[in-house]
Amino acid sequence: MDKIIEEARIVEQERILGQIFRLRLHSPKIAGAARPGQFVMMRVREGTDPLLRRPFSFSRIYAEKGDFEILYRVVGKGTRLMSGLLPGASASLVGPLGNGFELPAAGSAPLAFIAGGIGIAPLLELIERVMARQKGAEDLRLFYGARTAEELLPEDFVRMPGLRVHFSTDDGSFGYKGRITRMFEDVMAEGAFRPSGIYSCGPLAMQYNVAKWALANDTLAQLSLESLMACGIGACLGCALPASTPEDPGAERFVHVCKDGPIFSAGSIKWNKILSQQTVPPTWPSN
Amino acid sequence: MEQNPVTANGSPDLAVELGPLRLKNPVMSASGTFGYGEEYSNFVDLRRLGAVVVKGISLEPRAGNPPPRIVETPGGMMNAIGLENVGVEQFLSLKLPYLRELSVPVIVNIFGNTVDEYGRLAARLDGTPGIAAIEINVSCPNVKKGGMVFGTDPAMTGAVVRAVRAKTSLPVITKLTPNVTSISEVAKAAEGAGSDIISCINTLAAMAVDIFSRRPRLANVFGGLSGPAVKPVALRCVYEVTRAVKCPVIGLGGITSATDALEFLLVGASAVQVGTANFTNPAVTVEIVEGIKRFMEVEGIGDIKSYIGSLDTSCLFPFAEDSCSLIESEMS
Repeated sequence: MDKIIEEARIVEQERILGQIFRLRLHSPKIAGAARPGQFVMMRVREGTDPLLRRPFSFSRIYAEKGDFEILYRVVGKGTRLMSGLLPGASASLVGPLGNGFELPAAGSAPLAFIAGGIGIAPLLELIERVMARQKGAEDLRLFYGARTAEELLPEDFVRMPGLRVHFSTDDGSFGYKGRITRMFEDVMAEGAFRPSGIYSCGPLAMQYNVAKWALANDTLAQLSLESLMACGIGACLGCALPASTPEDPGAERFVHVCKDGPIFSAGSIKWNKILSQQTVPPTWPSN
Repeated sequence: MEQNPVTANGSPDLAVELGPLRLKNPVMSASGTFGYGEEYSNFVDLRRLGAVVVKGISLEPRAGNPPPRIVETPGGMMNAIGLENVGVEQFLSLKLPYLRELSVPVIVNIFGNTVDEYGRLAARLDGTPGIAAIEINVSCPNVKKGGMVFGTDPAMTGAVVRAVRAKTSLPVITKLTPNVTSISEVAKAAEGAGSDIISCINTLAAMAVDIFSRRPRLANVFGGLSGPAVKPVALRCVYEVTRAVKCPVIGLGGITSATDALEFLLVGASAVQVGTANFTNPAVTVEIVEGIKRFMEVEGIGDIKSYIGSLDTSCLFPFAEDSCSLIESEMS
């Protein structure tokens, strides 16, 4: 799979709510090759601060129009600069990068999509693709949570015919009160819905809980993981995560989010070797 | 200053000679920022580079440090990758063939935990087709001497260079750390022990912390600072080293453009390596080759060798005549 450097043109920039923005870019080569779950490394301007590109996953891909969208939350300098981009401006991209989600077999059994915060982004395109090939009778559910209602995308953004959405907020300001994974476990305990596969994206602490449930219940889960990264193409080796090595549990080995991921199965990560520094949301100190 | 005329066919000559090492141009990748070359094949024609310096290789594969391993800082980044690599055997069987096929000069960066390990690595690489030179990374701790970094001590640096020199007929490059009181002293020790070429600088020892979690940003606590922020330090080091040793010097540290590369050549480096900039712009190495060529065309420089080390540090007083006449008038 060829990786491309492409100068993209900004088509649309919309503040959806609070600090969450939707950016549509015209980037025909990358849009034409992109798959759900993959990402681009983006640079908004030349110069030394910020120095590095930032990774963003595709939230929507319009291959025939040569466009794609990203959803992002302004957390620091890079994303603040990005939020000032106007239609017609350009941005430098490297992509598409990473492995992407493995789509389920058409017309297969119930599926759960679990999104925490801005982690909803790659799941939107994935859900769209899955829905397009389903027959309509399957039980597809999105579990979508955020810290508070102000960080939750408007309902019409995530509601699709044939998709049942469960909302949660940590503070109870919208939907279920509590963590998204807690709500997911509650729904599982009711017993009416049992997914054959899980797709999830969100903070590492959330992903850990998803992985734990999936492993305990022998359910396949594809987790979209994030990390600080400098290059996105497997050269800097900065985006390492401890890998499980079932054949030799004591062995120390790392996988790299940019080239081995960003989509990982629940069992491929050695969760008990992740340091607390890694759970801090990936923002840069110079932000 | 004498200007060499542009060569007969009108194309400036970018070829450089670093002792026994001849390169078609002075631009190479820096170790640890370019993988094993293939990672960048989508973005650059690797054959256009002077050489590819690959990720540091050890005798055995290494997993590297636990994450977080990198952090961005103003104008730079810090890394504590921990020399993750596939080990020399896998490098030779899986990684080298791709570069050998392209016939791009490959410089293999090596590191060990003991002097003996350096020697064994050099012996293993010696005589392998497709390797143009060995670059010794002396910036790792000597496990036998309580973890003291080889490159911070002239005597230990000399010992490593001698061990490598004894086991190979390939050109030997010694890559120096700037984290020393006198980089010239270490450079002299490396040259004296038989290093054909010196490259400098490796990353600067650095640190970043998070005020909220009250933890270091890197799991390793310390990391190596690189990127544009370190360029002035690197230039000074290259300037000092080129004046301390007779052997050729490769300059690196924060180079992101042809201008940066030319600055290093101007102060005396015979070639340059491009590191962190590859992360931001994966095509930057070839863009720098093109930029140097354009500069030479515009400036009428036919041979890059005439530009190397042509920095003029003599003191000129453009208005000296006036001041002289002023003094004369006061005296009369």
